[in-house]
Amino acid sequence: MNWLRLISVASLLLLLVPIFVVLYYGLGPFRDAAGFSFQVLRSIELTLFSSALAVVADFVLFTPLAYYLARGNDRITESLVDIPVSVPHPIIGVALLILDSPVTPTGQFLLGLHINFYNTILGLVTALVIMSAPIYVKSMEPYFESKDPSPEEFAMGMGASRLRTLYSIVLPNSYDGLSSASLISMSRALSEFGSISIIAFYVLQFPFYGVSPASVTIYEFFSGNISGGLNAAVTASAAMILVAIPITLAGHMVRRRAGR
Amino acid sequence: MIEANVRVQVGEFRLSAELKGDGMICLAGKNGTGKTTLLRAIAGFLPIAEGYVRVGGTDITESSVEERDVILVTPSTCFPHLGVDSHIMWGARSKGLRPQKEAVLKVKSELGIDYLGTVGNLSRGMRQRVALATALLSSPRAILVDEAFLGLNDREAFVSAFGKLAKQASVDVIFSSQDEADGKLADYLYVLDNGLAKSKQREANS
Repeated sequence: MNWLRLISVASLLLLLVPIFVVLYYGLGPFRDAAGFSFQVLRSIELTLFSSALAVVADFVLFTPLAYYLARGNDRITESLVDIPVSVPHPIIGVALLILDSPVTPTGQFLLGLHINFYNTILGLVTALVIMSAPIYVKSMEPYFESKDPSPEEFAMGMGASRLRTLYSIVLPNSYDGLSSASLISMSRALSEFGSISIIAFYVLQFPFYGVSPASVTIYEFFSGNISGGLNAAVTASAAMILVAIPITLAGHMVRRRAGR
Repeated sequence: MIEANVRVQVGEFRLSAELKGDGMICLAGKNGTGKTTLLRAIAGFLPIAEGYVRVGGTDITESSVEERDVILVTPSTCFPHLGVDSHIMWGARSKGLRPQKEAVLKVKSELGIDYLGTVGNLSRGMRQRVALATALLSSPRAILVDEAFLGLNDREAFVSAFGKLAKQASVDVIFSSQDEADGKLADYLYVLDNGLAKSKQREANS
């Protein structure tokens, strides 16, 4: 008897119980047409769209940070990266709200530049970037660390800066790592609720006017603010899981293929 | 002319070495004697606790890796996503140099590079040839070859051709080897012994 395997499988099942419960009841006994309604599909569409944008932002803004951490020895910065995901997530929503409030100097400045976070796609994506970027960085950092530094050192010997080396030598040879980190951080963005329920409960912009992110819509069904109740909440949850699982699994499969 | 008089500490390992020469310099020593440590210190990838590194009369001890103009080539050095010609010109282009077509063809011919595909699809030996050609055409002050001559076909002929091209371009080369006999391919031979002793110089071709 392989007890380690048995305990591992049992603990994994414990983790997956909520997913199985939602899939079973959402697609079976509790199935409700409201959970597959146009409103739900639009909210899933908004969630996928905003999460994809967040991942693009993660790539552009945080790939250099991941590389810096991988090739440097900056323990303080490494610790700071974890902070946004280690605080209660609504705090990030509140922070963005204050940052962009007309009663604060920063808010007055940002609003003066027509930058508005509240119930906008920008606010939604900004919250998702803050919540998914630490996952992206923590996924890319060990990938960069695992790469042989010889080609980078060769490029630097020929006068290339670290940044130029990153963009012209490292990234073109990092498609597997980038794909894996992007998919995993997108999974994280898809699952976000705490921060976006404050800063972007719904979006008041074309083409998603009045649409809430999927996690908020599920909460709205559950709380009775929109008709459907628990059954619709469970059905919409199952639909969201069916969308999110392939992205999560793809991320992990690419990571395994990359040899990590 | 490369002059190095360095003391380097990496964990428990301490290296104390002195080296001076131009043209082709062979750095010989068994595994763990500090060959790679010395080359990495000269290239600027390891801090020097005490001493100096001068190349062509210029003190580069405090210079950053990018400013040193000293290229470290190892067996796994290459940019696999590039085509051979793009790879060979990468260093020169990044330094704003435009080597003449004849010079590029000569380097390719002398170093036996006769493939045009992507570098990642090449054999290990051919990748090493491409990397060494890239280093040479970027006209650095010095090229440090860390066992990248190992495993090449017609090794002696290749090292001889590479050394000749390097001399024509006024580039000094230090190459490491586990075999003291490789000193015959160089103008100078230095032998490292467990990294603690001062390196010994012999005139290689005498």
